[in-house]
Amino acid sequence: MLCAAAGLMAAIVASAQSPPTFNRDVVVLDPAHGGSDGGSRLSDHLEEKDVTLALAARVRSLLAVRGFSVVSTRQDDLAAHFGVPLSSDQRAETANRAHAVACIVLHASASGNGVYLGVSAIGSSLAAIPQNSRSASVGAKPVSWDLAQEIYVPQSLGLANEIGTAFSRANFPLAVGRVALRPLDNLMCPALSVEVGPLRGDGSDPTPVTDGDYQQRVAETIAGALIFWKNRAQPPASPAPPASGSGPGL
Amino acid sequence: MIVRIKRGRFVRAGAVMTFIPRIPWRDRPLARFNAAIPRYQRALFYVLIAGIVVMAVFLVHERRVAHDRLAAHNDATPLAAPVSNGTESFTLDLASDIDGSITATQREIALPAEPSVRARALLERLIAEYSLPESSHPLASGAAVDDVFLLKLPIVVPQPASAAGSPVPEASDFDAAADPNRDDELAVINLRGGFVNDHPSGVEVETLTLLSMIGTLHANFPRITEVRFLVDGQPKETLAGHADLSRVYPVIDTTAAAGGAVR
Repeated sequence: MLCAAAGLMAAIVASAQSPPTFNRDVVVLDPAHGGSDGGSRLSDHLEEKDVTLALAARVRSLLAVRGFSVVSTRQDDLAAHFGVPLSSDQRAETANRAHAVACIVLHASASGNGVYLGVSAIGSSLAAIPQNSRSASVGAKPVSWDLAQEIYVPQSLGLANEIGTAFSRANFPLAVGRVALRPLDNLMCPALSVEVGPLRGDGSDPTPVTDGDYQQRVAETIAGALIFWKNRAQPPASPAPPASGSGPGL
Repeated sequence: MIVRIKRGRFVRAGAVMTFIPRIPWRDRPLARFNAAIPRYQRALFYVLIAGIVVMAVFLVHERRVAHDRLAAHNDATPLAAPVSNGTESFTLDLASDIDGSITATQREIALPAEPSVRARALLERLIAEYSLPESSHPLASGAAVDDVFLLKLPIVVPQPASAAGSPVPEASDFDAAADPNRDDELAVINLRGGFVNDHPSGVEVETLTLLSMIGTLHANFPRITEVRFLVDGQPKETLAGHADLSRVYPVIDTTAAAGGAVR
């Protein structure tokens, strides 16, 4: 009995200390805003929630072609009929259930230039000073809900590096920073916010985020980078060694 | 027998034709009116009309003067330096939307001496830089910061005597609250609702605004170690839909924290 208890404790400690594992073929997409929360107003008749939804649809179809299973926190703007948008906690809950290899929070903006990648500020010098943080129990170790992203920050930085490299190769103006943004801090997966802004060239009129070709290029870059990322974050299981002919009873 | 003579015509008077001239004040209505009213009453009437016109002009002038006076009171932006203080060199952490960077820039500014008013005036100056036409992080002009409160850390909530268990607090309670060697302060920045409502929406632009304010405080107020933001005196979840305003931020050098462009 004591041996069994000790074994169980050892397994719990080992699981708490082992690096997190993911469903390497699952990606979570979070088209930000929705419902009564329109996000930023990109033009007189266009809100951010519509652009993020359109961009998410493009990324989703490209990821599906590449063999990913995509979990979206919203696939339409049905919440608009009820006027109640999903809370950031509800979005994080949906994402955390998937144990995805990457969680991408999509934003769009009328300011900036090109693409802005944001990694949670947790663990950086800009990390929030803990106040009365809520906590949730995960496995044997309680994890603060407000700091749920903490143990995934190294992977999130790696994801930002992978996607940032892909954007740079595709000649997108790119900036990367640490951001204080919900639900990024509550996600238990390698998480990244991707904000797409107008593409400002030298002297020419900027390409708006509503441009279909621009959105398609962004979606292809993200989808392509995630192929490399899933192999880097969690290499595929090596094939089982061939069974030896000598069984224990033989 | 009464003979009615029509004026303005020739009339035969015996062998002579005589012209009877018209009398204007008898033939025209106004002239009749004037003729019916005594001269002194007409003079009084015209004097009163002139008085009304003069009063109207005076009222319009006074209204304009009062409007200018009220507008001057409403513009509470402390950009005009107090006369008694000379200019000093301050560091403003200026953000750029073009490459997502924050750059420390020196400015000669005259600011008040009182620390919280000084911090408020400095942040107002920072936001004023962003309202200039050539700004690379354009924000709407106008007053942005209502107040800045500086609170000494750690903040100790006084316990009621019954809850504390002892009617007399222990000496150690005071030691923790009033450590003479600890000068850390929490800055509570109360932003104006108008500034927040007009702020551009986006992850990058909102983050840069916050980092710019935090970095400017870090560069000029070494005692401030933490920052909390309020809007019109109330907590608010986000600045303009993205950057989190509900948390307490550490005051750091944001020129390195902003990240910036990767090319």
